[in-house]
Amino acid sequence: MARAGTNLRTSYLESNEVLRRPYQKLLIVLVFAAALILPFTSSDYFLHLVNLCFLACIGALGLMILTGFCGQISLGHAAFLAIGAFTTVVLTVHAKMPFLLVVPAAAVSGAVVGFLVGLPSLRFRGVYLAISTLAMHYAIVFLCTSYQANFGTSASAGITIADPVIGSLRLSGEHAWYCFLLVLLTLVTVGCVNLVRTRPGRAWMAIRDRDIAAEALGINLTRYKLAAFMLSAMLASVSGSLAAYYSNVVTVEGYTLDLAVIYVAMIIVGGMGSVLGGLLGAIFITLLPYAIDSVFELLPRAWRFGSTVFGVQVGAVGLCIILFLLFEPKGLAEIWRRTETYFDRWPFRYRPLDSTRR
Amino acid sequence: MEFVATVVILTCTYALLASGIAILYKAGRVVNFAHGEIAIVGGYVFYSSGLMAGGSPWFAVIGAVVFSVITGAFIYVAMMRRVVGEPFYVAILITVGIAIVLKAAIIVIWRAEQVTIDVGVAPAIRLAGGATLSYMDIASIVLTIAFFVVLHLFFTFTRLGVQFRGTAENALLASQRGVNVNLVLSLAWMIAVAAATLSGVLYGGRAFLGSASVSIGLAGLTAALVGGLDSLRGAVVGAFIVALAQYLTVRLIDPVLSEALPFLILLVVMSVRPWGLFGTVEELDRV
Amino acid sequence: MTTQLFRRSIVAATAIACVAGFATARAQDVYKIGYITDLSGPLAGSYTPTWEGFELYIKTLNDRGGINGKKVDVVLDDDGLKADRAVAAAKKQTERDQVVGIFGLSLSSTQGPVYAEMRKAGVPVVTTFSGIGDALPPAQPFSYSTGVVFEIAGEAIGELGQNIKKGGKVVGMTFDSVGGRAALAHNKKAVEAAGGTWDEVIFPISTTDFTPFAQAVTEKKPDVVVGHYGSGQNLGVIPALRRSGYNGPYVVANYGVTEDTIRQAAQRAGSGQNIFYVTRYSSSFDKNPSVGEVAAAQKKYGTSKPFSSMHVTGWALGKFAEAALKSCGWPCTREKLDKTIQTLKVDMAGLTGGPIEMSATDHYGPSYWRLYAWDAKDNAMEPKGAWVKKGAQGFK
Repeated sequence: MARAGTNLRTSYLESNEVLRRPYQKLLIVLVFAAALILPFTSSDYFLHLVNLCFLACIGALGLMILTGFCGQISLGHAAFLAIGAFTTVVLTVHAKMPFLLVVPAAAVSGAVVGFLVGLPSLRFRGVYLAISTLAMHYAIVFLCTSYQANFGTSASAGITIADPVIGSLRLSGEHAWYCFLLVLLTLVTVGCVNLVRTRPGRAWMAIRDRDIAAEALGINLTRYKLAAFMLSAMLASVSGSLAAYYSNVVTVEGYTLDLAVIYVAMIIVGGMGSVLGGLLGAIFITLLPYAIDSVFELLPRAWRFGSTVFGVQVGAVGLCIILFLLFEPKGLAEIWRRTETYFDRWPFRYRPLDSTRR
Repeated sequence: MEFVATVVILTCTYALLASGIAILYKAGRVVNFAHGEIAIVGGYVFYSSGLMAGGSPWFAVIGAVVFSVITGAFIYVAMMRRVVGEPFYVAILITVGIAIVLKAAIIVIWRAEQVTIDVGVAPAIRLAGGATLSYMDIASIVLTIAFFVVLHLFFTFTRLGVQFRGTAENALLASQRGVNVNLVLSLAWMIAVAAATLSGVLYGGRAFLGSASVSIGLAGLTAALVGGLDSLRGAVVGAFIVALAQYLTVRLIDPVLSEALPFLILLVVMSVRPWGLFGTVEELDRV
Repeated sequence: MTTQLFRRSIVAATAIACVAGFATARAQDVYKIGYITDLSGPLAGSYTPTWEGFELYIKTLNDRGGINGKKVDVVLDDDGLKADRAVAAAKKQTERDQVVGIFGLSLSSTQGPVYAEMRKAGVPVVTTFSGIGDALPPAQPFSYSTGVVFEIAGEAIGELGQNIKKGGKVVGMTFDSVGGRAALAHNKKAVEAAGGTWDEVIFPISTTDFTPFAQAVTEKKPDVVVGHYGSGQNLGVIPALRRSGYNGPYVVANYGVTEDTIRQAAQRAGSGQNIFYVTRYSSSFDKNPSVGEVAAAQKKYGTSKPFSSMHVTGWALGKFAEAALKSCGWPCTREKLDKTIQTLKVDMAGLTGGPIEMSATDHYGPSYWRLYAWDAKDNAMEPKGAWVKKGAQGFK
């Protein structure tokens, strides 16, 4: 068959395909092979970083669907994470429920909160929506703080939760968590990719681009906007719940507005509107402080200590947001796509005449 | 009596911030989430300029003015101008990025030290009940009123001010009539940064500047939203409402709630009258 | 194409640098310990000088030749007051840098997770400042503290406050946090046990303008006001209280409040009268020879923050660390270090009121607290009364 260009599709089914070319399938296989080998060749510390990335990925995918696909700007993501963590606390400490029940329950509570937070989206758009999600963030954090304050005696540093137990297996240690999170993340990613390339995804993208026109086309705005909020909150809640189990301590002080901004940075850096972008962005932003640390470690010791390193780590996220928005608005996913097309088109250099490929 | 004084002074702080946000929204349709950080960094610059000149307040003022001009122009020319056609959230997220970078600057340049601006802190007036007002407090009120008067005169009577209002209404049309839109918008940013810096300096004189002080930005944003994002009159009224509500919450209800209060006010206003008290009634789509 | 090439090479170089940093190795034949604290976040003003005090002690120790000829190497990491960064730093230090123990830490919210993770890894952790209850008896394994535990501090301050005015009305202030509330609860207990009355004002954590809160306090007409928070809040509260008309005694609880902050606040308020200070470790103005040692080291090596009782606290932790490592011997392993800390009784030689002693079930030991008064004329701290001992039993 002649290679007629990178984006000529001849059937509807074909246009929905995720992996279009053989090399993409090969790439997925290689990535999985690497992921399977990784736990046997790396240190616990490295696996710890990878696990943090996985947890961030789950949360970031939630926000990507809400903001990247559905176009609803939300600054309340940290609150959803907090809901997941505190639901976990309430259920494990007071109701003594097992891990396999608690995480789905956290998802449900996340969905309920997502529904509530999503209600203003039916009335507002844009900045006003962002502000109302901000208000919800503060309300939820206030509730969690009151809960933690009334929790009991030595809760001055957070509430401890035991390691999760599945059947007769105890989920503790980096390797066990790595396997669990890898499987979960794969499922979540596959789920999101499928959601996004079928009807809900298209509805969300229509809402993002011009919601009045979407409504005119017959898309039920209420249903899809609320669904986006609920799904986003659910994923964030699950991520928060797992993070609580992973670090064994829950404290409300970690759920600040800065955390919500970091998640927004993840989806900007990754590239709004693509699942791959969500993953790349989450990994990039999670590893950024450690990478900066590494760079500074190469400098002579006298330079390292003092505020400079740490100020740089704080500012790096902000700088990334600005630089990516100015120079690479479609994020890391776009860089990936450019590389892909470069090799795909090689030895030809120029774009095809139809630029419908995004 | 001290109740009135405190609320008035708090109103001044928020009013300056809210007016900056209103100017930026009116001119460029950008909601600036970095306003609190700009205010605090401006305060730090004032403090450092004063230190460099051995404690002279005039040098500090010059330093603050220079900072306002340079920062305002830089933000507009380097960043805001480049994202003109993009969806609304791009400009907003850039301001969020600026906020983070400025917070990092406080850590790197000033080592996150908590500084106070000790100009005119001697007690000037004694009120009934033993409370005192310092010169700085009085200056806050006077300077804020002066600022608003000057701004009003500027917009109403000067040529540049009128061009400003024209650009705010329809930038394309204004540029076709010969208005240098870039100049006007840079000026908008400079004025907004200057207002924020003044607010930061007054705040540093009353409380202190530290990396936690940036929360006044959110209160200022609330004040602007309550009053109407594009109305200067609304900025003052909104600031008064927020200040009064915060003060009453602390004294009468529960001090701990005062942080979340601006957002409660916001939720109420937005459910009842989303475009604020004095804002132009617009489709929320425009935002 | 050249600008693109240039851009790409920058990105590539940065990426290589990031990865390369991961692979750097370190020297052997030294005692390796880790120190994690907040050096860039909101409370860096309190934790940085504490670290500097610790560093001064270690530098002086290494100049003396170290412990039995072996130097001490400290791996420093910043947690920015974030629990997950603290845990990641702890894991990095235990796996990559192979430390035998971790010291320092910062605010209470970072301590719980680090204690928990290091318990799993079997690495002893000794915290200083804002201690949480893990170290109180019955203590959790591998968790130690030489710092200021909220509950005990609250009670100690309540008792010492009686030396200022017996049986009067005490109003306590703190920010809305679990530690603050716990401190107030215990302060209230001590005050009421001594026959006084109690009231409190709690404000949000991120408050920087204290005028309305100060007015709320003044309205209650207190005899004594106590502040349970750090440097920043004191800097705002003291002038605000004086401006609202309250000129009575104000007690600063030392959760990382430097004397310099008090000087600044006093200057702001116009007068430094009636300001008191309760602390576990001696103030930097104390005439004790041990404090003089710290001052000398500070002059010799220089620190970025002015000399304060935080440096004394860090120095005391350094002294404790030396005693622990020395008693551990060579080679020192984590289990050995853990066992040996439980047997320690370290003479603090005036840095605090008595020795730091730990046991198998009590990882905090008795603590000694002292009341100082700020002398506005000399801008110095004057001790008032002797050290008060508080046991660690009965707080859990």
